[in-house]
Amino acid sequence: MNLITARAAPLETDALTLMVEDHVLLDRATLQVERGEVLAVTGGAGAGKTALLGVLADQPLPGVDAAGRARVDGRRLLIAQGGQLAPRRPLALQVAEVVGHHLGIDLRSALRRMADGLDRMGVPAAARRFDLPPEQISQSLRWACLFAMAAAVGPAVLLADSPCAGLDPTVRLRLLHRLADWARAEGVALLLAGRPEDRVDGPADRVLRLRHGRLVPDSAVPPERSAPASPPVGHEMPGSALLRARTVGMAYPLSPGPKGEPRELTVLHGVDLDLRAGETVALLGETGSAKATLARALLCLPPPTAGSVAWMGRDMVPAAVPAASAAEADQAGLRRTRRDLQPLFPDPAASFDPSMTIAAQFAVALESLRPDIPASQRALRIAEALAAAGLPDGTAERWPAGLTAAEAARAGLARALLSGPRALVADEPAATLSAEERSGFLDTLRVVRDHHRLSLVVATEQFAEGLRDADRGIVLLAGHVVESAAAGILLTAPLHPYSRAMLAASRGERPALEGDAPSGLAQPAGCPLRRRCPLARDFCAQAMPPLEEVSPGHRVACHYWDAPEGGAADGA
Amino acid sequence: MKDGDPMADFEQPPLSPVRQPPQGGPSTVPQAPRGFARGLSGAAVLAALTLACAAAPLMADGSTIRRLDADPVAAALLDGRGSLSFALLAAVLGGLAGIVWALLAFLLGALRGDPARRRSIAAAERLAGLPLALLVPAAGGLFGGLWPLALVTAATAAPAVAVLAHAEISALTRAEFLNAARAAALPEPAVMRRHLVPNALRPLLAAATLALPRVLAAESFASLLGLGLPPTLGSWGASVGLAARLGDPLGLAPPALLLALALWSACAVADAAVAGSRKP
Ligand code: SF4
Repeated sequence: MNLITARAAPLETDALTLMVEDHVLLDRATLQVERGEVLAVTGGAGAGKTALLGVLADQPLPGVDAAGRARVDGRRLLIAQGGQLAPRRPLALQVAEVVGHHLGIDLRSALRRMADGLDRMGVPAAARRFDLPPEQISQSLRWACLFAMAAAVGPAVLLADSPCAGLDPTVRLRLLHRLADWARAEGVALLLAGRPEDRVDGPADRVLRLRHGRLVPDSAVPPERSAPASPPVGHEMPGSALLRARTVGMAYPLSPGPKGEPRELTVLHGVDLDLRAGETVALLGETGSAKATLARALLCLPPPTAGSVAWMGRDMVPAAVPAASAAEADQAGLRRTRRDLQPLFPDPAASFDPSMTIAAQFAVALESLRPDIPASQRALRIAEALAAAGLPDGTAERWPAGLTAAEAARAGLARALLSGPRALVADEPAATLSAEERSGFLDTLRVVRDHHRLSLVVATEQFAEGLRDADRGIVLLAGHVVESAAAGILLTAPLHPYSRAMLAASRGERPALEGDAPSGLAQPAGCPLRRRCPLARDFCAQAMPPLEEVSPGHRVACHYWDAPEGGAADGA
Repeated sequence: MKDGDPMADFEQPPLSPVRQPPQGGPSTVPQAPRGFARGLSGAAVLAALTLACAAAPLMADGSTIRRLDADPVAAALLDGRGSLSFALLAAVLGGLAGIVWALLAFLLGALRGDPARRRSIAAAERLAGLPLALLVPAAGGLFGGLWPLALVTAATAAPAVAVLAHAEISALTRAEFLNAARAAALPEPAVMRRHLVPNALRPLLAAATLALPRVLAAESFASLLGLGLPPTLGSWGASVGLAARLGDPLGLAPPALLLALALWSACAVADAAVAGSRKP
């Protein structure tokens, strides 16, 4: 070891400057990655991470000019953005090609090395399907395979551009930690580049932030790691619920079974939810948790297939079923409810009609929701809503296709505010935004909420961010509520293993879950987490744990929530 | 950074064989849809061809047109009048039929439930996969007249149009902005009138352009066999067939080239229209 550390760092740059035409992408960056060190470079979209990695990998992007010095010792590998493998070619062939090319070994030894690599990435033997082309394996397995391929090649320097972007946080952090473990054990210099919200900094030894062309050490504790700002006190007024959902369920019809019997896929299982005036509830969950389905069911867009959703005591479901040509009175009731309860969509740009200007569609919505506002007042009202969402006046006359993602998100907020609602239901409202836009938008949302005293339901996969200014959190897994508690409790002492894993992932720590989430069509019997859960015992396979109240206002659905973590492997 | 770097150890290719285009660079220019330039040139070529064919009688000197002694280019342009106007007629009919098919499928779905809609579109899909163009020479042989031929040609193109039109409309019915309109308490008919119909026109038109290259190819094929348009009308396919039978390379080249050009440009226009109506 001493001998190795005495040598120069395998990756070093000195005053490396990257230019695109006359725009400076990176200004005199000096960095150094030692053997066995993990460095994270974080930056928003377009900050120049990909260009930097391209130059370090000696594959500069077209149009990028480099000046200064970059030195890489030994074999280097770049895992490109998106982590793509060649489509439609069996994995085994690609492994043999890449590993064989780098090491000059045959298929068998390449596959053996690959299997070792997959071991280190924690991929169970049963999940190794070398015969499949990459598009037929899950995204997380694809990333694990890429990492394993890199491990099989055994480079001196590994550069990973936005690794695991798009994976669920718990899965992403698990893989990143595995990769970092491997790099440390093998003495590989590992550089992870990614957006700050992807927490590539979690497993890193050192973090550099790429902002405005400068690489600066991220020594200051980022705001999201500091203690959560406690939610505004006084919000938790006990009053009766504005929105009351009872045993809300959603099932989709499947094609009939072999004997022609109707089949359906239930994605949301009897969820109860109360939203009080001025309260903010976070729905937390990852892919397949049905948090978005629940958010839509609360809005009756489309209405749930089971249970009831009542706004101020009036059940919305019967009126919202499109086939039912319900009585006129019902429609009027639905209209009043819609006026009070407005959505924010996950893809704001797609939620605008491309064939109408913003003003035109706002006017249609306003005419429908607030017939009491005279036509002459509408323009004023639209301007007010746009201003409240932080958009300039001229936005009204623009076409949706011309809006940036950030403007579209704000325009979506403005539309939701048009009718003067009392509650908003937001499904990943900032998912399309980059880090800075994201925090700006969430700030605006918070200001608007406090100013208009709105109730808010936010569905998100960002555990800590979603809870930071929520009153309550509801953790969803495969369509079941697994834990619901006050936000402060979920942020400090969650009890369910899944909540703990999500909290760990959102802090960049290693989540204590193995493997990937099962697909919605192949849920295991019993607890949906049991194949990944560190506390799982035999009994977990037999019964879905009920949601029990463990302390006032804190409910958990786990048979062994009180077992100490890691001390429960007595399955036999 | 090029000079004297100890990079001997580095080997191409990188780990990931697929290189990603740079993402979110400093200047993000909105990109025209793929194939746009090709579509534009296709449209230009098609327009030029149409004009040339329309103007062809002026080029053939003298008031009476004796087709056999006219020079081969002018003759081919004259033939284009028949081919292109027939293609236009059959494409309009076929496009309309396809769109009506798709709309009827949705109507059926609304009245009888979703399986009925899926069945009627599955039928169109199956038909679109068959070599329906073979029916055109058969119809030409059996009926001979212009209108029966036009109807049959249109019918052979309709299933493909129906499949695409159906796909476009069903993608549109899932669009988020319809949900946004529902959230504004717009009743379903108003949602359709204000948001669905205006946005459906473009993709439907694009789907209809699919019919043009199909009918042009089907007619040329039938005429090539001598079972297509009536001889009085003239057609590129017929001229190519005739020249081939007579062993006349000079007579064969112009109509064959013009036909290839027309087919290419019709395909380019259809591709670009379909790609352009899709959401990026
Ligand atoms: S019920 Fe069992 S498998 Fe489910 S979370 Fe609890 S311990 Fe884990």
